[in-house]
Amino acid sequence: MTTVARLVLGGVLIAAGALKIGNPADSVVAVKAYQLLPESIAVAVGYALPILEIVVGVLLVVGLLTRVAAVIAALLMFAFVFGIGWAWAKGLRIDCGCFGGGGQLGAGQEPTYLLDILRDFGLVLLGAWVARFPPGRFALDGALGLGGDTHDEDEGDD
Amino acid sequence: MSKGERTKTKSQSAREKIKAQQAEQRAREKRRKTITYVTAGAVAVAAVGLGWWYAASISRSEEATGALAPVTVQADGTAVMAKAGVTAPVVDIYEDFQCPACKELERVSGQTFKNLAAEGKAKVVFHPITIFSQEPTKSNSVRAGNAARCVADGKQWLAFHDLLFANQPSETEEGFKVDQLQQWGKEAGVSSPGFDQCVASNKNAQAHLAYSKKISDEQKLDHTPTVKLNGTEIDNQVLFSPSQLRDEITGAAK
Repeated sequence: MTTVARLVLGGVLIAAGALKIGNPADSVVAVKAYQLLPESIAVAVGYALPILEIVVGVLLVVGLLTRVAAVIAALLMFAFVFGIGWAWAKGLRIDCGCFGGGGQLGAGQEPTYLLDILRDFGLVLLGAWVARFPPGRFALDGALGLGGDTHDEDEGDD
Repeated sequence: MSKGERTKTKSQSAREKIKAQQAEQRAREKRRKTITYVTAGAVAVAAVGLGWWYAASISRSEEATGALAPVTVQADGTAVMAKAGVTAPVVDIYEDFQCPACKELERVSGQTFKNLAAEGKAKVVFHPITIFSQEPTKSNSVRAGNAARCVADGKQWLAFHDLLFANQPSETEEGFKVDQLQQWGKEAGVSSPGFDQCVASNKNAQAHLAYSKKISDEQKLDHTPTVKLNGTEIDNQVLFSPSQLRDEITGAAK
């Protein structure tokens, strides 16, 4: 279970980061769209987010520093849940789409806030699970003996 | 001391010795783990830092190098920024005052366009358009577009254009209000007679919308910002990286 959670969460993070990393401006605009952070911080977060996602994702997949990575991943996902909830509550139509895609959301089209929140919340749970029962199978932590003291009892978990 | 007692002491001391050894082993093991952990952590943090630095550095804006190239406001509401006699390469910037990505483009690459024009390496044409079809963004954008058309002097137009992007309102509320636009006009040094009246009456709204529709159809625009170099769209990735953008535009001049 831990291993599966690790791979899913790590995979999602890597994919999310990889989509954004080629174009920092993209993620800066996305972060700003939430209107949660002051301008200068939003810019810094926008630049850091893609690489942070990728690094944490890779750590999870290879199972290195599993617990720390899982905690960061869960916090990230929680921040996304909060951000989307915030956008929803404020009635922001986040998918402004003036970038890349075909303009903004059409008349009948609604942002899929609920779906996004459920998805990200599920990922928060996965992160919490991994943080509680690290590191799972095929993890570098195990090979390096970094598993922590709960290591042995959790072998049978997946 | 009886024999039994001796054995006991002996085994006790042996046990203690083993215990001490084990403790040392554990301590060593712990040290090793700590070192591995810290090393892995440091590498991860360094990777994040490096990535962040890289992202920040490829989107580092150029510094202002001095005087701007002359700006001329055209009858169709566009503004041309070029040194006298420079006619190529042509950089067409299609942007919406209300679009956040356009604001980001101005923040990251705006100075590059200005510098290139000032160096005589490009003829830059600003096309303010309205791409939004929903409220409140559409009206915000149209009010801003109208106000820009109320400015006749090129230098003032560009200063006003920059202020509009710097003060872009949220996409969810009414913004670019009449009194704000008039205030920014003052800040930009707009001296056109009747500017305030022109902003308040929104008299160029029709012309602005008509131009937006015409140019969008002609140029097949489906998003802003769209920047074309001699008629060919520049990739977003290049557009938001000032140094690559400069190379691409100066490359086209040859």
